[in-house]
Amino acid sequence: MIKFEHIGLRYGIGPEILSDVNFSLDPGSFHFLSGPSGAGKTSLMSLLYLGRRPTRGLITMFGQNTGGLTREQLAAQRQRIGVVFQDFRLLNHMSAFDNVALPLRIAGKNEKEIQGNVNELLDWVGLGEAKRSLPNTLSGGEQQRIAIARAVITRPRLLLADEPTGNLDDEIGMRLMNLFEQLNKMGTTIVIATHNQAMMDSFGHPRLVLDKGRLSVEEGSTELRKKLQGVF
Amino acid sequence: MSKKVKKEKSLGTAQKKRRYDLPLNESSGSGFLRLLIALMSILTILALTTGFVLSDMTGRWAAGVQNHMTVEIPAEDKNGNVLPGENVRALSQKAQEIAAAHEDIESAEILPEEKIKEMVAPWLGEDISTSGNAVPLPGLISIKLKAGAEINTEAFQKQLKTVSPMIRLDTHESWLSTVLRFTGALKFAAYFITLTILITTIVAVAGAIRSKMAIHKDELELLHLMGALDSYIARQFQRHSMILAFQGAAIGCFIGGIILLLSSSMAGHMEISIVPEFQMNPPQIGLLCLLPFFISLLAVGTARHTVLRVLREMP
Ligand SMILES: Nc1ncnc2c1ncn2[C@@H]1O[C@H](COP(=O)(O)OP(=O)(O)OP(=O)(O)O)[C@@H](O)[C@H]1O
Ligand SMILES: [Mg+2]
Repeated sequence: MIKFEHIGLRYGIGPEILSDVNFSLDPGSFHFLSGPSGAGKTSLMSLLYLGRRPTRGLITMFGQNTGGLTREQLAAQRQRIGVVFQDFRLLNHMSAFDNVALPLRIAGKNEKEIQGNVNELLDWVGLGEAKRSLPNTLSGGEQQRIAIARAVITRPRLLLADEPTGNLDDEIGMRLMNLFEQLNKMGTTIVIATHNQAMMDSFGHPRLVLDKGRLSVEEGSTELRKKLQGVF
Repeated sequence: MSKKVKKEKSLGTAQKKRRYDLPLNESSGSGFLRLLIALMSILTILALTTGFVLSDMTGRWAAGVQNHMTVEIPAEDKNGNVLPGENVRALSQKAQEIAAAHEDIESAEILPEEKIKEMVAPWLGEDISTSGNAVPLPGLISIKLKAGAEINTEAFQKQLKTVSPMIRLDTHESWLSTVLRFTGALKFAAYFITLTILITTIVAVAGAIRSKMAIHKDELELLHLMGALDSYIARQFQRHSMILAFQGAAIGCFIGGIILLLSSSMAGHMEISIVPEFQMNPPQIGLLCLLPFFISLLAVGTARHTVLRVLREMP
């Protein structure tokens, strides 16, 4: 479904942050993206959510070469991708509810459907009480949950999350990982960038490891996956 | 959302602000844009009205003068001696007969002395005694041409000179053409000013929209990343600028209207007889009433065009 071939990325005239990155993601796969701070995880994510173009190489997504997309096609592809940004990027002038509803409004869903879905999801992530609050009046963990809710509300085909559990306590962190697992079961392709070794160990998904601009793929532990199969 | 709230919201009076994906209502430029459009509307309405009134006025002047000529019989002979009133009257009578007999002339009327006195009163005072031959009154014949007739003025003048070499034929043409050229230039200036104001409005609205977009660059990028089309984003700016522009234009046109009423009543008080009433025809009044809508449309169109242009430069 997604294929990166000989991808290179540099910012301006700076050094190459990513060089000759090659990988492909099958539909319905679940990957962790790891690597030391500054390795380029967020940069790779931005290529995945079509936020910037690579300086070289070819990205194929949903069967199309992303280099040749019209603005309309680009918008349509982006609507299939849900993103949890490392810095959340919530809109602070609108309520938690409206933030989560935004992707549905952009996609032109009707307001009744939006009300139902958004309320349900906010209750589920434990923010039912806070839905009228502005994001900047909420805690970091609460904001993170809004960001996650916003990313998954459209049931995207590709879900990208950059350190999605960084500000969360273990219980809520597990709850959200649980949500990601469920979405993945329903067919969503997922990539989660994280430093959290414990989390990666306990889920056994394959890893994309970035180091010094190079990417290597580590197989997950199938044994562990089998054991977990019953849990989720 | 109830109909009432909807209406109040579109007028910007509702308590709860309309939901925008961008914090357009919060950014400081809104008040500036509203004020700017209000001021531009005042200027537009004044300049446009000036143009309308001038064009109406010149039209009526021309129509009033074009089919008319005046024959003047001076109250003096060619040596500068004052002629007695009876002589002037006799000469006038003769000239009138010649004029009335002319095939291109519909009517020729000797103006009664009272009327002439009235006309010269502003210059010479009310009580001129003609008997004391202090001020000799000339004879005037007002001539109305047949509709569509093209009289040969030179031949006609020659005919009149047989009565007295002092007789003058005034076709008003030189006066008219001077006045028409003058008012024509004023009219052009008024319309040109209107156009300049509208262009200034467009430039200012585009600038305001651009600065708003620069302020909200991050939010715009986010909307794009969520798959928003440029037209989706443009619609928000359109709605925003539509509301601001309409409020501004309505306020501006209201104030402009008051200024017009004041100045028209002032012109009325001055009783300037050469200025026909301060008047406009119904289509012109209609046009002025549509001005707020037109200005709003202009603002919306400018906003859309600007937003789409700026967005196209973004990833
Ligand atoms: N917009 C940018 N302009 C210039 N350089 C950038 C930009 N974004 C990132 N970089 C640089 O690219 C490198 C990789 O950054 P990136 O944010 O992708 O790393 P990361 O793996 O996500 O780090 P972290 O784990 O701390 O989030 C860094 O050296 C950073 O300075
Ligand atoms: Mg990062």
